[in-house]
Amino acid sequence: MNIPIICMRCILPETFPGIKFDDQGICNHCHREESAIEKARDKKAEYRHRLDELILSVKGKAPVYDAIMAYSGGKDSSYTLKLLKNHYSLRILAFTLDNHFVSNVAFDNIKKVVNALEIDHTCFMPPWPFMKRVFSRTAEEDMFPKPTLLRASSTCTACIGIVKSMVLKTALEMSIPLVAFGWSPGQAPIQSAIMKTNPALIRQNQSALKRAFPFDMSGEISQYFIPETYYETCKERFPHNIHPLAFFNYDEEEIKQELSNMGWMAPTDTDTNSSNCLLNALANQRHIERNGFHPYVWEIANMVRQKVMNREDGIEKIYTEQNRSMVDYAKERLNI
Amino acid sequence: MSVTREKIRDFVVENFLFGESNGLKDETSFLDEGIIDSTGILELVNFCEEEFSISVEDEELVPENLDSINNVVAYLENKITS
Repeated sequence: MNIPIICMRCILPETFPGIKFDDQGICNHCHREESAIEKARDKKAEYRHRLDELILSVKGKAPVYDAIMAYSGGKDSSYTLKLLKNHYSLRILAFTLDNHFVSNVAFDNIKKVVNALEIDHTCFMPPWPFMKRVFSRTAEEDMFPKPTLLRASSTCTACIGIVKSMVLKTALEMSIPLVAFGWSPGQAPIQSAIMKTNPALIRQNQSALKRAFPFDMSGEISQYFIPETYYETCKERFPHNIHPLAFFNYDEEEIKQELSNMGWMAPTDTDTNSSNCLLNALANQRHIERNGFHPYVWEIANMVRQKVMNREDGIEKIYTEQNRSMVDYAKERLNI
Repeated sequence: MSVTREKIRDFVVENFLFGESNGLKDETSFLDEGIIDSTGILELVNFCEEEFSISVEDEELVPENLDSINNVVAYLENKITS
């Protein structure tokens, strides 16, 4: 491991934009979050209540499904799926984007989990030449605005942008009132854990995301975004987005244990920050080279600060060098 | 600069630009510039609710109210006086 100077509390490095350390080596982000962390217990209870109320108001009313889940087969989305099915008894459609880099172990896990939970599953696969063009470009350049890149790599941002658009598109087409994500407690803050989407906000967000792609890709990328007509024809059907792991108890080992009861196994062919994607190691490496910090460090630092991950595990996840063979595998497939 | 404007600017710079305010103008679109995405908007909303003791309704979560410092300030001023 090659560990730079990092915050003594949360692991953010000195290379993270705008970071400042006090005399004790604690960063400004840790100090800023202190009051939120003190209130976290009450806030989580409040959001649990809000989700209970929301589910009560929508459950059983949609034609077929109560929720669509963006399902990667990784640990967090598998656990969220289990939570929504077992705790809330929702009728769920699990949606997987096959980006052509999903680990075979992850696909096995997907089958085991959806079968164990008796959940319908659909897999959407854009053609390899298109995904290859997207990933080759994002590996070679940062196409998204700088603030976006503080929280994720260009490769992840492009891929998850397609996932978010496709699950929303499907939700609108099938009148599904809830769109669920398995964001970890460090990935997205509790304040955004329950959100009523609306056409104006989504339209502008989608438009900004589309514009970030190079001009020569704008035509082909458009088909994976919300068609313009939907903003009017589906305006009454815009769903709530939820990411329950922000306010349910989160313990990585307990989660893995519970998932293993359904046959879920942690892949050994992915990097330390992903339990489904074989492209992540390259995406991380390129982000570190271009930006000077790991694209997962903001998320992991948040989790260390919230004490849902211990500091040593966080350091290992972030400051272990990217596995050379995983990086080479992705480079070879992308011909870069 | 009004106190409201200053508070909003400080919050956005601290929380979404991590302390580096380069180029953030009062009219800069948060969504267009990738400063805040559609879920990040809720962090801003939560801040406004706590700081200015207001309640933001679902139907008010639109770019016209929340997509720039100018828009947020105008929305808040209108909300507080109404």
